Amino acid sequence: MSSFFGKMLYVDLSSGEIKTKELPKAWAEKYTGQKGLGTRILVEDFDIDIDPLGPDNRIVLTTSLMAGTIVSSTSKLAITSKSPQTGMITDGSVGGHIGAELKYAGFDAVLITGRAPELSYLYIDPDKQEIRSVPDLKGTGSFDTESEVKKKVGDKNVKILTIGPAGENHIPFSCISSERYRQLGRGGIGAVMGSKNLKAIAIRGWLDVTVHDFEKCMQLAEEFHEKDGVTADDNEIYQYGTPVLVDLAQESGLLPTKNFSEGRFDDYKNINGESFREVRQNKKACFGCGIACGNWVKDGDAAVEGPEFETIVLGGSSLGIGDRAAIIEFNALCDDYGIDTISTGGTIAYMMEMTEKGYHDFGIRFGEKEKTFQVIHDIATRSGKWAEAAGGTKALSAAYGKKDIAINVKGMELPGYDPRGSYGMGIAYVTAPRGGCHMSAYPIALEAWGDRDPFTFEGKGVLVAKMQNSQFAKFSFGVCDFWPINSETLGKLFEVTFGGNWPKEKVRETGERVFNLQRMFSVMAGFDEKDDKLPERFYKEVLKAGPPAGIKMTAEAFSKAMQEYYAYRGWDEKGRPTIEKLKALKIEDSLIDMYNKRVFI
Amino acid sequence: MPLKFDKKKCTGCKVCQIACSAWHEKVFNPEKARIKIRHEYETTGLKIGASTCIMCGKCEEVCPTGAIKSNGRWMEVDRSLCDGCNICVENCPTNILFLDAMGKAIICDLCGGDPQCVKWCAKGALSLVEKKVKI
Repeated sequence: MSSFFGKMLYVDLSSGEIKTKELPKAWAEKYTGQKGLGTRILVEDFDIDIDPLGPDNRIVLTTSLMAGTIVSSTSKLAITSKSPQTGMITDGSVGGHIGAELKYAGFDAVLITGRAPELSYLYIDPDKQEIRSVPDLKGTGSFDTESEVKKKVGDKNVKILTIGPAGENHIPFSCISSERYRQLGRGGIGAVMGSKNLKAIAIRGWLDVTVHDFEKCMQLAEEFHEKDGVTADDNEIYQYGTPVLVDLAQESGLLPTKNFSEGRFDDYKNINGESFREVRQNKKACFGCGIACGNWVKDGDAAVEGPEFETIVLGGSSLGIGDRAAIIEFNALCDDYGIDTISTGGTIAYMMEMTEKGYHDFGIRFGEKEKTFQVIHDIATRSGKWAEAAGGTKALSAAYGKKDIAINVKGMELPGYDPRGSYGMGIAYVTAPRGGCHMSAYPIALEAWGDRDPFTFEGKGVLVAKMQNSQFAKFSFGVCDFWPINSETLGKLFEVTFGGNWPKEKVRETGERVFNLQRMFSVMAGFDEKDDKLPERFYKEVLKAGPPAGIKMTAEAFSKAMQEYYAYRGWDEKGRPTIEKLKALKIEDSLIDMYNKRVFI
Repeated sequence: MPLKFDKKKCTGCKVCQIACSAWHEKVFNPEKARIKIRHEYETTGLKIGASTCIMCGKCEEVCPTGAIKSNGRWMEVDRSLCDGCNICVENCPTNILFLDAMGKAIICDLCGGDPQCVKWCAKGALSLVEKKVKI
């Protein structure tokens, strides 16, 4: 027995064809679940040149192969596609209950392609899968869409993914929402859903999930939850959630403030972990998760589940807004309109600084919260005074200049850590396969809040590559980032659920394989060393307060570290995985041949 | 000896339901749990609630075959007497009774006195109370 069903639902929205396909066990053994399996399914017979917003793009939903079991923190749903924001492969995961729900519906994965003739939603349960028209939901916010679809399905237990107006309007950083406040924020897959006329996906399951060794699974889950503090009351992620990071970032002088022009924010105490805890109504967990990171907060009329640290920074300190209720409102508006809080905040911060410094008058300055709310509306609806902000910082800076302060990597706005306070984070930003993102590696924990020197690139290329392999393993085996799980524990849990032998070396190699698979497609899409760059601001300007004060990060040291990174990865000096490396990682010959012809021959 | 639910402590993770199905059915399936948690956002905010057996005795009272009886600590179903008539299910005030695939009534048995839902709840939202709870 195994927790793997070997079943994928295939949906062609153009023809209306829906069928269940067998999912090769070899893929699960090589790439496991979530991120890895999603990437593998996406790239099979996939033309990387397709228009991300055209009918040929794909949306792949994948569960953890441990989803629905007693193993904590495995219920997130991964979604993989070609990103309209970056042009590369992108994947992300959304929390809540929907990953487990898909598993209980009997599927490890769903592949959606085509374009529905009119606005529709996809319904999935174990007996029935249907495309249903919902023209009446055009322009509806994510929250109401979820309520309406739930009513239409007529089952209060159905779990739903939705897009807001932003996704329908193809905003390149549209998110996908579930249970109102859980978002797949980054990379713009919400716009891909919108381009497919797919307003929502409703999933309901009631099937049994079994595992390879039931008794052992119960025993190990209990043991490892305890060992790693997953269920501990004093876990700070439970006590505070991610807002706990505000104080750490402030202390380390890397809290992005006013579009990363500063690393400390005077009003940080208004928006830190303690402050948000004061207005917390309840904790909220994802399905089967002992950690319970979520915070349901209310401040006056403003309410949200959140805000997470990144939202506090990009919707707060980086906009010069130190008002708790305003950040909650910013978060709730982005969620309802269906746009990523990080990219939205990053774009607004760029416009604010451009205005303040007199480079271009966008009509909005730091600290202007009411105008910020209006920009969110204008972005999502691509209308009004700030409609062009819908392009994000990369498009705005192409039109208005000052690319050095357009804080993005490969078109994706950076999250809440200034790399000048954690040099490894700079390498992580430029090498993350989905663009300027903090999820591929978190060297900051060892540098800024650990004992590694944050202000040197020495050894950081290797450090980041190793961390990325572990993270990619974690997200492919399908465990939430908030469980500080090591590769050995991951392997043992996978042995009792999925089955087989999974020593820690094999677990890490799986992560490395998935990382390289994504990089192969970035390279095929035209990305390489020339694009692995940080915004110039970080070399031109030094921070003035806290530990990084007066320390200059140099482009030369960065480039040297990047070559060390490529060499450690077995890539060439242009940052392209070598054929030898890909073969050593046992990536399929068919994929390697395609890559070789495109890149080297 | 019913279960007590503290909604301030519940995070809505439903590990209680997973553990319940695991202990009784040796599978993971929250649909087959003898406890049900609701913890979700409605337009008015976060709604939290639990359905558990409150030992009210209604099922015993309405069962036409005498299959359901209280043992003083929990309700017991004599599967040889249960004919799957569904009357107990229809009359359960907390909607927690259901029929299994064999058509026999399923009800919380407190896992024989060591309820797994209480054991697995990491946040102490469930506990056993000695006194019978009135509806």
